[in-house]
Amino acid sequence: MELRAEALSYGYPGRIIGSDVEVALTAGEIVCVLGPNGGGKTTLFRTLLGLLPVQAGHIALGGRPLQDWSRRNVARVVGYVPQAHAAQFAFTVREIVLMGRTAHVGAFAAPSHRDRAAADTALATLGIGHLADRVYTEVSGGERQLTLIARALAQEAELLLLDEPTASLDFGNQLRVLDQLRALAERGIGVLFSTHDPDHAFLCAERVVMLRDGRILATGRPGEVITHDNLKRLYGVEVEVVTATLADGRASQLCVPGLAGLRTGSRPRPAPTWH
Amino acid sequence: MRYGWRPRPGLSATRLSAVLAFALALTGASLGEAREVVDSAGRRAVLPAKVERVYAAGPPASIMVFAIAPEKLLGWTRAMTPDEAAFLPQRYAALPSLGRLTGRGNTANVEVVLAAKPDLIVDAGATGDTYVSLADRVQQQTGIPYLLYDGTFARTAATLRALGAATGDSGRGELLADYVERSVGGVRAKVATIARERRPRVYYARGPSGLQTALSGSINAEVLDVLGAINVAGGQSAASGLANVSMEQVLAWNPDVIITTDPGFYARVWTDARWSRIAALKNARVYLSPQLPFGWFDFPPGPNRVIGLFWLADILYPDVFGNDLRARVADFYRLFYHREPTPAQLDALLDTPEPANR
Amino acid sequence: MTAHAFDTLRLGSLGRYTLPLLGLAALVVLAFAVGRFPVSVGDLYAATIGKLTGTSRPVPATVETVIYQVRGPRVLAALVVGAALAAAGAAYQGMFRNPLVSPDILGVSSGAALGAALAIFLSWGLIGIQALAFAGGLGAVTLVYAIGASLRGRDPLLTLILAGVVIGTLLGSCVSLLKYLADPYNQLPAITFWLLGSLASTSPADLAVVVPTVLLGLVPLVLLRWRMNLLTLPDDEARALGVETTRLRLAVVCAATLITAASVAISGIIGWIGLLVPHAARMLVGPGFARMLPMTMILGAGFMLGVDTLARTVATLEVPPGVLTAVLGTPLFLWLLAKSKRAW
Repeated sequence: MELRAEALSYGYPGRIIGSDVEVALTAGEIVCVLGPNGGGKTTLFRTLLGLLPVQAGHIALGGRPLQDWSRRNVARVVGYVPQAHAAQFAFTVREIVLMGRTAHVGAFAAPSHRDRAAADTALATLGIGHLADRVYTEVSGGERQLTLIARALAQEAELLLLDEPTASLDFGNQLRVLDQLRALAERGIGVLFSTHDPDHAFLCAERVVMLRDGRILATGRPGEVITHDNLKRLYGVEVEVVTATLADGRASQLCVPGLAGLRTGSRPRPAPTWH
Repeated sequence: MRYGWRPRPGLSATRLSAVLAFALALTGASLGEAREVVDSAGRRAVLPAKVERVYAAGPPASIMVFAIAPEKLLGWTRAMTPDEAAFLPQRYAALPSLGRLTGRGNTANVEVVLAAKPDLIVDAGATGDTYVSLADRVQQQTGIPYLLYDGTFARTAATLRALGAATGDSGRGELLADYVERSVGGVRAKVATIARERRPRVYYARGPSGLQTALSGSINAEVLDVLGAINVAGGQSAASGLANVSMEQVLAWNPDVIITTDPGFYARVWTDARWSRIAALKNARVYLSPQLPFGWFDFPPGPNRVIGLFWLADILYPDVFGNDLRARVADFYRLFYHREPTPAQLDALLDTPEPANR
Repeated sequence: MTAHAFDTLRLGSLGRYTLPLLGLAALVVLAFAVGRFPVSVGDLYAATIGKLTGTSRPVPATVETVIYQVRGPRVLAALVVGAALAAAGAAYQGMFRNPLVSPDILGVSSGAALGAALAIFLSWGLIGIQALAFAGGLGAVTLVYAIGASLRGRDPLLTLILAGVVIGTLLGSCVSLLKYLADPYNQLPAITFWLLGSLASTSPADLAVVVPTVLLGLVPLVLLRWRMNLLTLPDDEARALGVETTRLRLAVVCAATLITAASVAISGIIGWIGLLVPHAARMLVGPGFARMLPMTMILGAGFMLGVDTLARTVATLEVPPGVLTAVLGTPLFLWLLAKSKRAW
C-alpha cells in the first residue's frame, strides 16, 4: 500500500499554505517531514489523510485517488496519531485504544472479543499494558502519546501518520517514542512523522522531506539532505553536522548548533575603550 | 359717627350676593369649578367641572364606565371580537382599543392615552400599595386625574355609585347601584335561609386541563363565596388565589358541582375516564359559564359577574331560585350593556351545548 | 487507582445496575402508595397484584380510577420524561464535548414554549397545545441545525451552539411577547403554569403518543452507543478513525431532539435533569456511552419520579417540578463538583 502525493497544493480556499509538494510513503519505511513550526506540516498531514480537500494536484492511496476512498476504508489502511492532548472525559487508556477499532466495527455494533484482543495487543506492543485501566487524563504526557500510538496500532493500519509525536515530551520520552517508531517500521508499518528537530531525523528516518513555508527544500536520505547549508536555509541558523563515533564503533551523525561562543570557547568581550 | 357696613335686617343686594356666593362655593361643580374627589384607596384627585371623556385603565373599569356613561368611554383595553361586539350597540363596540394601564401588565402607550385627551382615568380592581403607587405615578406623569376604585364583588354597588358621582352621572350610577344592591341582596337573603348541609361543594376548573383552580376568597371565586357554596379548594395562604392541583386531589375532593370557563375542557371532560368517577360528572352537574360579551363568572372581575350570580344560583339551588333567567338576562343586558339580546342570542347564552355522550 | 466508583466495588457488569434498578423499583412502589387521594395499602395490593393473581377482593371504582387512570400514567410519565431528558443530556454532553450542556442548548425548550404559548393564546384545547409544543420544539432545532450547517468554514460545534443560543433567545422573546399580549386573567396564567412545568394533567392518551415517540428516538442512541464515544474526540481524530462525524452528529441531534420535544410537550419545561443526571451517571460508571446511557436513564427516571411524587404530595397545591429539580438539584450539583477532583 502506498500513499503518494504529487504536485500537491494544500491549504484553505483563498489561502494556499503549501504548493508543489511531493510526498510518498510505503509500508515499512520511515519518512520524516522536517521543518520549522508554522511551516504547514499539520495542514499537510490533514490533507494527506483526506481531512482537508486538496487545493491542487492529487493524492493517491493504493493507486486510487484518495477522494474515492470512504472514511472507513481509509481508516483501515492509514492511521493518524495527533499530538497528545487533554481530554474532556475520563476514559481509561484501554477505552481510548479500543476507539482505534472503529473502522473494523460495524456502524451499529460494539467491539467484539477480537477487537478487544487487538487493543490489548497494541497496548502490550508499546509496553503500556500496565496502564490499561488508568484514566487517560491522569497519566503523563509521554504515556498519553504512547496511548495514541497504541490506538493507531489497534487500527491495524499499514501506514501511520504522526504529527509531531515528540512535541511537549521530555528527553527520555522523546527517545522512547522514536524507538517505537523504528520498531513499528521493522514490523512492516510505513511511518510518516513530522518534527522540527533534525537529530530526530538522523535517529530514525530513512528519508527526510525538508519543508519550509509550504515548499519542499530538499528530499532524500538524512545524510544527504541534512547539511549545514540546508539547515541554514531551513532555520536561518548556523548548524554544523558532525559525525560521531559511538562506543560500539558505529558512526552516527548529529547536529551541533553554532552559537557564537562555541567556536572560540568564550564569550566575546567588548573592546577596551581607553587608550 | 360709625362708618362701615352695618347688617340691616331683610334682603339687601349685598346680603343676597353673599348668600349666592356662598351657595355657589358649595355647588362649585355645577357652575364650572373643579372639585376634589376621594377614591376607594383614599387618594384625592382634582376633577374638572365637567367630565366628558373617560379612559378606563382596565377591563373591569371599562365595563363600569360603559354601563354608567357609555358615551364618555374613550375606548376598550383590547379590540372586541365579532362575537362580543354582537351584544353591544354598534357604535360602542367599535370604540378603539387603547390598551391597559393597570398593575396587571400594561399595554398602553402613555402617549396614546394622552392623545385621546381624557378628562379622567378610572381603574377598578385591587387597591393595594402597588396599584396606588402606579395610579399616583400616572397621575403625576400625565396631569390627568386617576381614580382607583375597589373592584371586589361586595363593593360593586358602592363603586358604581362613586364612579357615577365622579363622572357627573350620579343618576345613572345610583340606578345601577340600586339594581345591584336589590338583586344581590335578595340572593344573599335567600342563600342565608339554606341550611349548611344543602350547600354544594363546588370545584372551579380553569384552563384547558381543568386542573387550575381559584382558591376560596380570591377575586376569581368571589361569586362562589357569595352564594355560600363550599369551594373545595379551600382558602390557602397563597396570595394570588390561582393554583395548579393534581387530578388525584380533585378526585379526593369529589366535588358535587364543577364550574368551568374553558369550552375545550367542557367538551372533553364528559368522556375522560379520569373525571368520570367524580360526583359532579356522575350527576351531570358540570356547567360552562357563558362568556359573551363579558364573562359571567370569573373574568374580567367587574359588574358583569352580577348576572353570573343569578345563573349560578339557579344551578346550585334550583328549588330555591326558580328565576326566569331569560327575563333577568334581558333586563341586565339592557341596563348594563345598553342592548337587549335577541331571542337567538339569549338561546345561545343560556342553552349550554349538549355534550357528545352523556 | 481505578477509574470509577462502581469499579472499585468490584461489581460485575450486571451488578453495576442492580442497585440503581432496585432503588428505582422501590421508588415506583412508593410512588404508587402515596398521593393526595387516600389509598390504603390493602386496596393498592388488591388493585394491582391481587388483580393479576385473581385473588382480589372488590376495590372501589374510584380507587381503581386513581391507580390506573391517574397515578399509573403519571408515574409512567415521570419515568419516561426523566429517562428521556437524561439520555438527551448525556448525548449532547458527549457530542459537544462539554459537560455543562443541557438538552435545551439547541433551542428545543424555547421552541416548545413558543408553540404552547401560541396555542394557549389562540385558545386551542389541550391536545392542540401539546401538538404545537412538540412541533415548535422540532421546528426550532431544525432551524438551528440548518443555520449551523450553512455556516461553513468554522468549527461546526461552535456554530451550532451559537445558533442555538441566538435562536433560543429569539424564541424566548417571542414567548415574552405572547405573554404580554395575552389576556391577563385567563391566558397569561395558563401560559405561566405551562412554562413552570407539570405532570398533573397526564392522561393515558398522552402516554400512548409520547412513549412510542421517546422509544423511537432512543433507538438510534442505543444503536450508536459505542460510536458516541468517538464524538468526544476532536473532529479530525474521529474522522481519521473512520467516523463520518457530520452524519453521526445529525443522527444524535435528531434522536435527542425527538425525545426531548416529546417529553416537553407533555410535561412543560423541566430543567436540570438533562444537565445533572449524566454527571452522576458518569461518576458511577464512567463516560463510556454504552454503560452511561442505561445508567443515566435509570437515574433520570428515578430523579424525576422522586421529584414528581414530592410535587404532588407535599401540599394540596401542586409544586412546580421545575422549581423542585432546581432546588434539589443545585446542592447536589455543587456537591458533585466539590467531590470530583478529576475530569468528567
